[in-house]
Amino acid sequence: MALGKKQMALLYRNLVRADHFDKMMMNRIMQGKLIGFYHPGDGAMAAGVGATTFLDENDIVNPHHRAHGLAYMAGRGIDIGRYLAERTGKVDGCCGGRSSFHWSFPDKKVYGASGFIGWHFCPVVGWGWASKRKGNQMVLMASGDGSYGQGGAHEAMLFAMNWKLPIVFFCENNGMAIHSTISDMHPMPDISSLAQGYGMPAVVIDGQDVFAVAETVIAAREHALAGKGPTFVEAKTLRLREHDVGTPDLARAEPREAAYLEELKKRDPVVLATTRVLAEKVLTRKQIDKIYQEAKEEVAAIEKFADESPVAQPSIEELLAGVYVA
Amino acid sequence: MSEVRELPLVEAIREAYRQEMERDERVFMVGQDIAGGIFPHTKGLVEQFGTDRIVDTPLAEIGMYGTAFGAAMEGFRPIVDFMFAGFFLNAASPILAQTAQFRFIHGSQMSLPMVITGACGAGMRLGNEHAMLVHNMIAQVPGIKVCMPSTPYDAKGLMTAAIRDDNPVAFIWHLGTMMDRGPVPEEPYVVPLGVAEVKREGGDVTLVANGFQYKNAQIVADKLAGEISVEIIDPRTFSPLDIDTILKSLEKTGRLVVVDESWESRSTASEIAAQVVDRGFDLLDAPIRRVTIPNIPLPGGHMEPYVAPNPDAIEAAVRDVCR
Repeated sequence: MALGKKQMALLYRNLVRADHFDKMMMNRIMQGKLIGFYHPGDGAMAAGVGATTFLDENDIVNPHHRAHGLAYMAGRGIDIGRYLAERTGKVDGCCGGRSSFHWSFPDKKVYGASGFIGWHFCPVVGWGWASKRKGNQMVLMASGDGSYGQGGAHEAMLFAMNWKLPIVFFCENNGMAIHSTISDMHPMPDISSLAQGYGMPAVVIDGQDVFAVAETVIAAREHALAGKGPTFVEAKTLRLREHDVGTPDLARAEPREAAYLEELKKRDPVVLATTRVLAEKVLTRKQIDKIYQEAKEEVAAIEKFADESPVAQPSIEELLAGVYVA
Repeated sequence: MSEVRELPLVEAIREAYRQEMERDERVFMVGQDIAGGIFPHTKGLVEQFGTDRIVDTPLAEIGMYGTAFGAAMEGFRPIVDFMFAGFFLNAASPILAQTAQFRFIHGSQMSLPMVITGACGAGMRLGNEHAMLVHNMIAQVPGIKVCMPSTPYDAKGLMTAAIRDDNPVAFIWHLGTMMDRGPVPEEPYVVPLGVAEVKREGGDVTLVANGFQYKNAQIVADKLAGEISVEIIDPRTFSPLDIDTILKSLEKTGRLVVVDESWESRSTASEIAAQVVDRGFDLLDAPIRRVTIPNIPLPGGHMEPYVAPNPDAIEAAVRDVCR
């Protein structure tokens, strides 16, 4: 399915926003203005934006952990101010400042992040089961190549195909899990080859191409809503930086080579998308400048909101009252 | 007064399932071989409710549990049956690290109304994995309620309460009570979670016991009648724990024995002992005695009768505190 110019412009805008959010987080953690880890998404923000921008509000989204899901938040229309407030332990945080980086926006049907990579392979079965019962929604289940080492991944694929659940298994394959390379940790270069064993349709796409990602996910979503079951979408992407800020950028035990990283930068999705929207006259240079200016202003407003929100330090009694539904 | 009908405990549980599924179409069951049924607790339900609501899964506890966990976030009210309660450990990570703590850690926005259930207990010589009671492992984590019935009446009432509760509830039942018969009203009713019951009144010693051990406690109380007057308290719910009912009993008896079919260390027996010392030290006329499984894995073979709590061990403990 070919995208219209309006759709392309929206994708471009969300990609630029997501890229700005990632840079904001990088700056803040370097300045000590962020609680917890930050796993930079630099150079890999296209997949999440492409996968989420055209979903329905009823659809369930499980974000990939890289960039803490900011690419998915950008596409989903999530309030990044409340996210940053959460990451700074503030009262306006999306989880009342309790979650560190395990945020959620249940009103946006993003039910939670977890520090356990691959945790979502458990609830995704129920999300899919419920979506099939309701009939008007599907699940975008994003995660990285590393998460497919979890046994739960296979249970989720097994259940999804058995029951023809409306789930898109969206794998961002950047070839790295912390310092481990995919060639050491998986027998096959394509994670999507796992889907074959379950008879699940699978496709490998360029995760650096925000437009290709969107087209693929739109088609997989239609397949799911038509009752045809899950699809495996493998978006090949890359990792420009270290796993998380403050740890060395290694492959196995060796530093990754500068020349190799320079080569990767040529595949920066913002650069690729800019070239395309100009070439296809989707946007003018002036319009692009405006998108950048607005993204900068959005980041400034996000930081202002989070920084001005008071620190959340409720009493033990208040915290106890939050454990159970009364 | 009309005679109240008697049912075996396992049928009391089934009646709660049936009535709550009739009452609320968001309720469904997921498990392994629940359409057929290893135990009779789900017998006949698939004929009434179909495979959309009596959902059998592959032998995959993460996916099976996930069916319930994810559906609960989407507004359903699942019951997930692990067959043997110890098998919950195959999904311990999503239950203990996520489900229980999910609501709190995400700002108390979500509720996860679901029941996690399974059978367990010493007596069938099944060895540790099938037999071990897991109530204390689960009850250690805040955010999930844990209960176990001792009688058919409590089984139906606690299960009904568990299904209607907006929190995750682990409902564990003991294989040694499965066919016990007792009065069970036909209409739906609730035994509230977090409320203990004085099941036998007495004046000399407070004996806390639950599940199969409740039966052992009654055997001991009957034997000692006329010599030592035993008050039996059934906690019914391990988390939240109703310590007030125990403290109130101690005002009368001053002596406490806690039976817990679990390891000696870090058990509900330990927790009750700690809370009683904390809040009711002045009520005690004797040291507290715990009757538990020693800190060894529960063996199969012919060792259960003396390794697990039993009437002799309970009687010895009662006599000890009443010297």
